[in-house]
Amino acid sequence: MKKSPQLEKLEEVLRSSKLVAGGFMGTDSRSVTEIIDADAAAVAKLGYTPGRLAHRMKQITDAAVKGLGTTVKIDDRIQAAVIEAKGSIVCPWPHPGHFHKRVTAVKSLDSARTSRWSDLNIHLIEKHGFFEGKGSPYRIEPNDLIELIF
Amino acid sequence: MVISSIGALLALLLTVADLFFAAYGPSEITINKEKKLTVPGGQTLLSALTAEKIFIPSACGGRGTCGLCKLRVTKGAGLVLPTEEPFLTHEEIESNVRLACQVKVRADLDIEIPPELFAIRRYTCTCTAIIDLTHDIRQFRFKMIEPETIDYIPGQYIQLLAPVYEKSSEEVYRAYSMSGDPADKTAIEVIIKLVPGGICTTYCFEYLKPGDRVMLNGPYGRFRLSDSDAPVVFIAGGSGMAPIKCLLHHMKNTGSTRKATYFFGAKTPRDLFLTDLMKSFEAELHDFTFVPVVAETRPGENFSGERGLVTEAVRRRLEKPESCEAYLCGSPGMIDAALEVLHELGIDDGRIFYDKFE
Repeated sequence: MKKSPQLEKLEEVLRSSKLVAGGFMGTDSRSVTEIIDADAAAVAKLGYTPGRLAHRMKQITDAAVKGLGTTVKIDDRIQAAVIEAKGSIVCPWPHPGHFHKRVTAVKSLDSARTSRWSDLNIHLIEKHGFFEGKGSPYRIEPNDLIELIF
Repeated sequence: MVISSIGALLALLLTVADLFFAAYGPSEITINKEKKLTVPGGQTLLSALTAEKIFIPSACGGRGTCGLCKLRVTKGAGLVLPTEEPFLTHEEIESNVRLACQVKVRADLDIEIPPELFAIRRYTCTCTAIIDLTHDIRQFRFKMIEPETIDYIPGQYIQLLAPVYEKSSEEVYRAYSMSGDPADKTAIEVIIKLVPGGICTTYCFEYLKPGDRVMLNGPYGRFRLSDSDAPVVFIAGGSGMAPIKCLLHHMKNTGSTRKATYFFGAKTPRDLFLTDLMKSFEAELHDFTFVPVVAETRPGENFSGERGLVTEAVRRRLEKPESCEAYLCGSPGMIDAALEVLHELGIDDGRIFYDKFE
């Protein structure tokens, strides 16, 4: 399928290091549309929506941020810590939106399962259904995330 | 084939037309109603000022992604662009604040910038030492080469250039507070925490080596110790140590007799650093107490100091808070939590100074 100039520009930004070291696409050779479609299917198959995932991720981040970098027990199944860095980062999509450089690290209390996300990850999932390309440092596997946080 | 050829011809015509018709002549920039510069038109205001050696803080190299290069443009800038809107409040737009990297010089401009920005210089340095402070925090020392010395006010920050490297296709600047002894004007130190995926910190941790050439500009910032005699409470965490360490050197150099208490928060004992230096400040300064605060300990770890969140320790330990001035450096979450506690303790905003990581 032929890409629109806007989509080509977006993919160029996502594959570049303009916003984060190594970009958002990692080693994934699929187009951004293919990545979004595949992840949307994986999320739907488990009976969830990107919006519901983002809502739960926000809940966890909001609870963990009160720990000022220390680990906070979220519920009987998971704990989380939020690490903040200097500066902000903008959404690679062409619309207003910039986010604190804040990373939430989540760990299961009864297994070795872990996940981490940035505030930008939450936005990308909620507004764009984008979990990043495979091999990207902040790629989130939908199945693993759902298993951990619900 | 015919359509492609016509397209190529049109593109060529547009390029030529752009060269002839969109070429802007020289424009005059009037700064603070006093200084006048004549610059080539067509470039961004940020580029024009940088070429004239006037450095406006910018962390993203002018790509409109950091929102730091704000200044007032009272004439000639045109309408606020959609790329600026996310970074400007309604009040800022009303008072003609713009992002210098997004404003094009197409006509004569009147701008207002803080006078202290005229003192900002570009520095070439050599990295002379890299020291691990914790598993993800390092101290970097840079010797000044050109110019050979730097003057700054303790508490200020510099911008460090991360050049193009394997994981970044563009140059970016990032801001770091200076942590060294300000009496040594031939070198500066910064303390940097690794941000996974961060362009500049990845460069500093994985690529920068002693002996490498480093480009900086600065100094910037209004975070500094006041001239009063009020007791001081410092509150910091992680790499927020940097400007506080610099202020402590300054207090020692100037023979300050102010009472000072430093609450430094860490997740675990292994996240504490420079504790020996803090002990030496306790011995050398007139009345200084270092209070390390640790949130968690692992089995087998010994820690006899304050436990819990750094803000809880401030609430428990701070003596006569109503007479104190507070100086904070850390994450937005830590600053917000500290502000809440300090307000509860009766310290008003006029006596709280902070360097928020934004």
